[in-house]
Amino acid sequence: MTATSTALNTRTSTPGALFSTLSVPIAIVALLVVGAIISPSFLTVSNLVNVLNANAAVGLVALGMTFVAVCGGLADLSVPANVAMGALVTLGAQSFAGPFAAAGLGLLVATVGGVVNGLLIGYLRINPIIATLGTGAVLLGLSQQLIGGGIVYGEPSALADFVKGSFLGIPVMVWILAVAALILTPVLSRTAFGRWNLAVGGNYEAAEASAVPVRFTKAGAFVLTGLLAGLCGVLLALSNGQARPIIGTGYEFVAITAVVIGGTSLFGGSGSVLRTVGGVIITALIGNLIILGGLPTQATGLVTGAIVVVAVGIDVYFRRKGGRE
Amino acid sequence: MRRLDLRATGRTAVRYRLLVLLVIVAIFGSITIVDFFSVDTLQSVLNRATVVGFLALGLTPVLIAGQIDLSIGSILSMAGITTIALQPVIGNVPAALAGLGVGVLIGAVNAAIVVVFKISSLVATLATLLIFASLALLLTDSQPVSSTDPIFGIPLTGDLLAVFTPRSALFVAAAILMFVWLRFTPSGRNLYAVGSNAAAAKSAGIRSNAYIVATFLISGLFAGAAGVLQSLSTATGSPVAGAVMLIPAITAVVIGGTRLEGGRGSSLATLGGVVALGALTMMFEFNGVPAYTQAIYTGVLLIVLITLDRLVSGDGRPTSRTLRRARVESPTPRGIQEEA
Repeated sequence: MTATSTALNTRTSTPGALFSTLSVPIAIVALLVVGAIISPSFLTVSNLVNVLNANAAVGLVALGMTFVAVCGGLADLSVPANVAMGALVTLGAQSFAGPFAAAGLGLLVATVGGVVNGLLIGYLRINPIIATLGTGAVLLGLSQQLIGGGIVYGEPSALADFVKGSFLGIPVMVWILAVAALILTPVLSRTAFGRWNLAVGGNYEAAEASAVPVRFTKAGAFVLTGLLAGLCGVLLALSNGQARPIIGTGYEFVAITAVVIGGTSLFGGSGSVLRTVGGVIITALIGNLIILGGLPTQATGLVTGAIVVVAVGIDVYFRRKGGRE
Repeated sequence: MRRLDLRATGRTAVRYRLLVLLVIVAIFGSITIVDFFSVDTLQSVLNRATVVGFLALGLTPVLIAGQIDLSIGSILSMAGITTIALQPVIGNVPAALAGLGVGVLIGAVNAAIVVVFKISSLVATLATLLIFASLALLLTDSQPVSSTDPIFGIPLTGDLLAVFTPRSALFVAAAILMFVWLRFTPSGRNLYAVGSNAAAAKSAGIRSNAYIVATFLISGLFAGAAGVLQSLSTATGSPVAGAVMLIPAITAVVIGGTRLEGGRGSSLATLGGVVALGALTMMFEFNGVPAYTQAIYTGVLLIVLITLDRLVSGDGRPTSRTLRRARVESPTPRGIQEEA
């Protein structure tokens, strides 16, 4: 597939490669410039830190979604359910397990959700959209049944204080996203598992013929996304001190949007975690600018959707042009 | 030969799963609920399934053509608020037509993004899902619009012929019309060719792009119809009405047996899926099962049916085991000719 070759030769100097390498940093700089013009309070350390802090949790989901997209798994629509599971278990189990064990349990439950996805998609080869739609419905229903459809409140704890706190002036949530991104970037680009993901997404049959454990790889991407969605839920629950089953509603689309804006194809074979971090920052800045610019918050989807079409459209245009040369 | 027979029996089993499901619902329903077997129940099931049914019907040709349309929920919302908001301005019937027009228009936007800009339908309709959900909220300032003529829509859910209400009769008629188109006309059959292998269809002289455009227009029209019917019968245009409708619609289509991979499906199967899902929901509600528990059962049902489908028919991509077997049996490997 051409996608694989563009991923491997990013240093070629065709306009398409140049666009795909520079587009994310340029977009971020452009947003910063536009923001500085629109509002004097935009380009302040406290505002930017707040923007990052508010989007760090969903950013974690986007990191996992990158692997799903790269391995040709389209998208994981069960993210809201796994986020809710992580959050509700974390707070619900606090009374008898203590905050640390409860958080661990929350992560575990969400990871199990990811394992179920992985088995259905990787091993039974069910279409990822249908499979995650189904598991999402089941898990969200279970999470609601768990608490009878209400709200769970957390108790103050050292762990919650830690999550809400900051280190060197930067919130712990942002640190966690940064560390996760720093770990996962080389995992995708340098380790065998990451290479397998790229290979499986690029050409499933060829990867299988080359002895890549295709099923394990595809399953692994969904397990990773389940784990990260769980982590997102745990962090949200601890920092908010309360959790409802709808806590992660819409996160799947936010994460997919961040992945796509970053330049990773949803059809697999290419992509990088760093690009997704760029995508998360871009979507976060857009949301912030809409509020600071005085536009109604409902316009966020309008702007984000339009940007997805334009960004992907330009990318597709250059790829087709590059293919013809 | 033996493998062929196996596949044939598998297909039959898959085809009758809807019937099995309906029989199970009927048995459980008649045990747990007094008077479950009545014309009223059937009428109510059909009537309430209409809105999701129109969405699911519109989605069917899109999926057959190998595309997907995630924006149908947003189309429903847009069509609904258009219909209600325009009622005092241009009158009831023109407003309803305008609602349909909005649906077709958004379908045309989807088609343009997919065909002209060559963006995959998953990404394209994800974007239009966000755009039009957001636009619906902006236009209404996040408030539902109330109809100035709430009487107009009431007959839609009244009695018609025994089991039908006017709107469910429309739905069933649309499903039958679509079945005739897909099964008995050349253009309908060409659609399956486009979905199974677009490149091969193109070399056979089928204009794939025209068919893809048509499916998005149809899906827009049907989602628009769902929005118009829902808003008229509730006398309200809600900007978030469609947000919760996408997943039940996809579930109904998939339970019916239409594949997301394209090239397979039928509108009557979708009709069956919609009715089965509706009957199941109705039985749950009569038994006082909370909505979130229903979601669990529906999700499990979706997973089980799709797993059965995969295990029994074993279609789609060959598993590595069948590939290996094919390699041993014949020198030319089978299943390598997947889409590029």
